[in-house]
Amino acid sequence: MYELRAVDKTFPGVHALKAVDFKVNRGEIVGLVGENGAGKSTLMKVIYGAYQPDGGNITIDGTTVRFQNPRQAMDHGIGMVFQEQSLILNLTVMENIFLGYEQQFVSFGVINWKKMADAARHQLKKVKLDIDPSTITSELSFAQRQLVELAKVLTLEERVDGDLVILLDEPTSVLAKEEVELLFSLVRELTNRASFIFVSHRMDEVLDLSDRIYVMKDGEVVDVVNHDEAKVEAIQHKMVGRDVDKEYYREQKQLPYGDEVVVSFDNVSMGRSFKDISFDLRRGEVLCLVGTEGSGREAILRTVFGLDTPTTGTVSIKGKQVTKFTAQNGVSSGIGYIPRERKIEGIVAGMSVYENMTLSQMGNYSTGGVLRTGEEKALARDWIDRLAIKTPDVYKDCGGLSGGNQQKVVLAKWRSGGSDIILLDHPTRGLDIGAKEDVYEMVREMSADGAGIILVADTLEEAIGLSHTILVLKDGEFQKRFDGSPGDKPSLFDLVHYMI
Amino acid sequence: MDMEKIKPYLPWITLITLVLLVGIANPSFFNPAGMVGLVADIVPLFIMALGMTFAIYIGGIDLSVQQMANLVTVVATVFLAPLGMGVAVVCIVVGFGFGALSGYITTRLFVPSFVSTLAMGFVALSGAKYLSGERALSMDATLRDESFGWMFATTAGIPNELIIAGLLLFLAWFLQRRTTFGRALKAVGSGELAAVASGLNVDRIKILAFAISGMFAAIAGLMFSVKLSGGDANLANGFLLLAIVAVLVGGTPLTGGVGGVINTLIGTLIVVVIRSAMVYLEIDATQQQMVFGVVLIAAIALTIDRSKLRGIVK
Repeated sequence: MYELRAVDKTFPGVHALKAVDFKVNRGEIVGLVGENGAGKSTLMKVIYGAYQPDGGNITIDGTTVRFQNPRQAMDHGIGMVFQEQSLILNLTVMENIFLGYEQQFVSFGVINWKKMADAARHQLKKVKLDIDPSTITSELSFAQRQLVELAKVLTLEERVDGDLVILLDEPTSVLAKEEVELLFSLVRELTNRASFIFVSHRMDEVLDLSDRIYVMKDGEVVDVVNHDEAKVEAIQHKMVGRDVDKEYYREQKQLPYGDEVVVSFDNVSMGRSFKDISFDLRRGEVLCLVGTEGSGREAILRTVFGLDTPTTGTVSIKGKQVTKFTAQNGVSSGIGYIPRERKIEGIVAGMSVYENMTLSQMGNYSTGGVLRTGEEKALARDWIDRLAIKTPDVYKDCGGLSGGNQQKVVLAKWRSGGSDIILLDHPTRGLDIGAKEDVYEMVREMSADGAGIILVADTLEEAIGLSHTILVLKDGEFQKRFDGSPGDKPSLFDLVHYMI
Repeated sequence: MDMEKIKPYLPWITLITLVLLVGIANPSFFNPAGMVGLVADIVPLFIMALGMTFAIYIGGIDLSVQQMANLVTVVATVFLAPLGMGVAVVCIVVGFGFGALSGYITTRLFVPSFVSTLAMGFVALSGAKYLSGERALSMDATLRDESFGWMFATTAGIPNELIIAGLLLFLAWFLQRRTTFGRALKAVGSGELAAVASGLNVDRIKILAFAISGMFAAIAGLMFSVKLSGGDANLANGFLLLAIVAVLVGGTPLTGGVGGVINTLIGTLIVVVIRSAMVYLEIDATQQQMVFGVVLIAAIALTIDRSKLRGIVK
């Protein structure tokens, strides 16, 4: 009934969806799996109307539809249960359920709360949630909120003629095991009311619940598997696909690392982000943190740099225990941080190339607080040459450079200041292939120079190709360590197995 | 033409257009002596706006400057007798301290600067009222001339007031353009998160920016008080709006990061020209505020960097 044919979507520099065919039958539960960046979220957004496809068409019962926004998609029976819950916590349950659709309860300009409460009770019954509709949402548990979210989407049933398609984006990520089972049995029962598209990182859950599973990789649907034929391992192989190209990641340049420990974590935990993490990073080592979104990788990087303070455990930088976690301390102990949000945290848009390069080390280019601008510019010229940064001159606004060149400016900032602990958070995100290779080249050079590097890679191939050591994390906890000397690297499958 | 390309020149274009318009309507406007008088008149406002530029340049605002100046007029008048010229130091320290405290409240207690400085302004105001006993105080004429008479003398035909303004402008410009502090201000104003991720002590930079704003407001208050030979808790009323207008019309947007103290010079001159035009057109002083209110809104709407707001304005 709901079908996408040859749907295409391109963003500047990324071909996010390549001629995707996708179909949901009445009363069916369809699973959708793929690595980060495989195109799952883009596909979801096309389905519920947040993105408009560039090519292909969408049909409902054979009629072509085109949604300008999620509200139009909802009017056609497409509802979304968000991963990051969309409920407004200080409103009551019933206000949330009918948010934006209160008009039906209004008479003479006043909302008839009793009528709304009755209608809300009817919706809550569908999801078997026995609560007072006038409860303030923040008083509910996460699992209850998830059900309210589902009830909210199910109001479409009364509003829309025709069938419903409900997207569930990582609905189980905050639920306990029993709650997951309850949710699943509910979803199965609700298939007489709606079809479901189920997206999750947890492979076993997808296999358990789905009638059919779409496997995505690099913006394409690489396989569609029926429930009875589905095997976790086969699907994981499909998800990660091709072999790693050794040349691409400069594997021949990978040298053995040194002995001196530059960063040491001893049973470090931070809130809900990560728990009991221990590792040693040595000079020349590239250590890669691998895990799904929310597995704690980024939080660990931020803690090393000093942006976050751990709740327990000991962090030592170059043998000295860190007592005060601030970015200033991080920088002065020689740590350089290349953040994922390059345009927001990496460079200062509005400042020139040379101003950006010396921002973390102005002390080296000033006397009594007065800048020696000539030297700053000389430094910038030197690094523009060394890293082949494409910019007309040192005065160019960094915000106007391409992503790859911005990344080089950030790297130059840290390397020119002598940082020898480098934290890379998705350093190649959004870069084209040439720029990615430049980054790989720089990682090898820094490692050969004796810098310790912690990497959160954009893809698993990248993680395997670049690193000496891989730590696999799941839900903030350590799972497995892999050592990868050239020619003896773990396979993608090995990693995925521990990630999900 | 691309609006983004014109933007940096907009203040200059506005100033020149206004000067020409006013000059055509009233040729006596170009009389040099009259012009110098006009400009000298506005020196305290200019100094206050210079300080305010620092607060706005980092993306904040300082609403306490007018009350700061009020407080200082009282402090200067009360302590002129015992301290003589030394009262200037007291005024500057008071201004710096109050500003630093606003900065501390903003950065450490996470109170947005428009509230923290507004609140500190009331503290300053009530301090001024307490100290003055809610009366208009006046300075002893001999003492005033002995200690600060030099401010209103001329050097080589130029009023010393203008020279002071010029020196402070140079100081502010030097801080902004030549020092690590100025560079850090720009980084905080343009991309605070990147400044944090570069290891800058962003809190300290912000506190210092507010302290400078307070200090300049105090200098403005001191000059004003000497000029009028007295102090009172309402003396500088009417300055706040004009100071904000001067900074924003000059081209330093509320979102910070661009513009700077030279822009504030242009902005102040625009304010002078508008004001003298209104005097010429016999617009009553009470109505002038209305005009400046409108100018302020227009200036913000034109200069604000919408990409930094991400669609959220509250």
